[in-house]
Amino acid sequence: MSCSEGSEQAPARPRRAPPGRAVYRIQAPILESARLPGGHHRLVVRAPAVAGAARPGQFLHVWCHDPATIGDPPAAAVLRRPYSISRVWSQEAVEILLRVRGVGGRILAGRRVGESLDVIGPLGHGFHIPEGLRLAVIVAGGSGLAPVPFLIETLVARGARVILLAGAADDEQIPFAVDRPSDPDRPALSPSVPRPEGRDGGRQGDLATSLRMNSVEGTLGVRKGGQPGHATLLALEALGAEVTFVSEAVEGLLVSDLLAARLEELSGDGEGRSGDPPPSRAVMAIGPRAMLKRLHELTRPPAGLPLQVSLEERMACGLGACRSCVVPVVGEQAQEGAGPRSAAVVYRTVCRDGPVFHSPEIAWELLDT
Amino acid sequence: MGTPGHMTTPDLAVNIGALTLKNPVMLASGAFGYGDEFMGLAEYGELGALVLKTVTPNPRPGSPSASRTAETPAGMVNSIGLENVGLEAFIEEKLPVALSYGTAVIASIAGDTPEEFAACARRLDGCAVAAIEINISCPNVKKGGMAFGVNAKASGEVVRSVRAATGKPIIAKLTPNVTDIGSIARACEKAGADGLSLTNTISAMVINVETRRPVLAANAGGLSGPAIRPAAVLRVFQVARAVDIPVIGMGGIWNSDDALEFIIAGASGVAIGTALYADPAVGNRVLVGIREYLTRHGLATVRELVGSVVLH
Repeated sequence: MSCSEGSEQAPARPRRAPPGRAVYRIQAPILESARLPGGHHRLVVRAPAVAGAARPGQFLHVWCHDPATIGDPPAAAVLRRPYSISRVWSQEAVEILLRVRGVGGRILAGRRVGESLDVIGPLGHGFHIPEGLRLAVIVAGGSGLAPVPFLIETLVARGARVILLAGAADDEQIPFAVDRPSDPDRPALSPSVPRPEGRDGGRQGDLATSLRMNSVEGTLGVRKGGQPGHATLLALEALGAEVTFVSEAVEGLLVSDLLAARLEELSGDGEGRSGDPPPSRAVMAIGPRAMLKRLHELTRPPAGLPLQVSLEERMACGLGACRSCVVPVVGEQAQEGAGPRSAAVVYRTVCRDGPVFHSPEIAWELLDT
Repeated sequence: MGTPGHMTTPDLAVNIGALTLKNPVMLASGAFGYGDEFMGLAEYGELGALVLKTVTPNPRPGSPSASRTAETPAGMVNSIGLENVGLEAFIEEKLPVALSYGTAVIASIAGDTPEEFAACARRLDGCAVAAIEINISCPNVKKGGMAFGVNAKASGEVVRSVRAATGKPIIAKLTPNVTDIGSIARACEKAGADGLSLTNTISAMVINVETRRPVLAANAGGLSGPAIRPAAVLRVFQVARAVDIPVIGMGGIWNSDDALEFIIAGASGVAIGTALYADPAVGNRVLVGIREYLTRHGLATVRELVGSVVLH
């Protein structure tokens, strides 16, 4: 369309959000606000529209303050905070886990049941789960565990075998408890995706059940003092994942080492090579950029495991407008083999184009790690 | 609302040159992106005008990707570096979506030289934009990268070249990072601007004390948000007294009282930026508040409030 023709008339476009982008702003009642070990906090809010539309890897953009005071310019935390969706309950409630660090986290940790949380979501593109996916390897480092419960549940419901390789610099970094919200009097909340028989979503009984799954390889027994983390891992197993945990402080290993050690086994017959539709294997990674970059090196050909990475970056709008959270992706010219850097730099937003990207899309050599 | 004994609904319309806006509340360039990103989060068509993100003749990647934004007390510092899709993609892909909101859309333009500004204006002259905002805060490449907007002569040159290229109303957006903003405002007026908008962000830096490195990859950026509002109100007051053309006030507007401060200081219109990131419906909220204020004070039009500040 050129402007000189028919310029007086606005073209007829639907005013609704574009197809495939259901984004809601909700004053969501807080159902649970719980302090967790290690300076973490869990918030569960009732937001049926968000819960119904959410996909693993997507996030909520959260206004830290009381929604009733939105008209007062805040002295601190003037921007929303992005938190990945940790779990969806009964298609009506959404859970986020945050590390209480900085002023925004402190304000959120002080919010109480009965108040409301102003949330916008679900935002961004989550993990791509191809039809026919048989094996999903989730690699999560540190607070990258936050969105993992929702991801495991969804993958299991889609019939995939799920291996979780989790790691942290020390136990304290991952005390996320992923059992159900604790108040039994609350309207029944249960996982929104159908569970395999015998598991119903991380109740106490489930933790007991999962004990017999304790034969999975791993290092649960050698971690120091890790009760909260221990419960976390059991709960993640209860969701249906085969969990291996590594603590850098204890074992001197990185979580990416876990993948490196099993690369041959997991790459299998190479059926995950790029271009094989539909890939039956996938690696999905969330964590520090150095970890993601190493995973990129490990999984590229000849290993040929399709890797998706969830990136984090400082955000302002969360909607793709302000261009704060951009990351360099491989431009068309770069793909055609043009010189390094040059004009091939193309930026994509973590908030809208991501946070999950297919690893080959990222211009890793230009990405600040 | 027409009930006997009550005021009729106040008249909110304002004029920027030949352009009449149905009300004074606008969304600021940069903050509102190209508009499509906010689709569905508020009734943007109710607002007076939507000012879209600055475009340049060719696409620009902008500042380095790492850390373009930092939150600060009551504000934020950003350096996006005029990342944009370029004029043609803007016209083909972005503008139609923004126009679909059903209110005035104002394009914001920039370039390395006055000729590039003029080229943008000439191309947009045939488009359905209601006006063109000239972002003179961007670097003047031929003059060592110093912003056009810090120099009255360079500001006038850019405005003059745009004036010659379009019959649309043109608005020069002023930077506050100058010694005498009144002289720059007068230069833009003399060069043919129909209106002035201010302020752009205040130049600023944030340092991480652990690493001793600036938080922004570009080292410095521009401060926006409630933190700058009083500084912006003063500059609007100064500029409104220095020129005879309408002024659009902005800088940290969060609620209707903030907007009214700008109007009383001399602004015919107001624009909202940073607060959009907290409350995508802030413009609508401000509009409601302005209407209530006018009714409460028995004012028939918003125009009679413009520049009505009572000095000590």
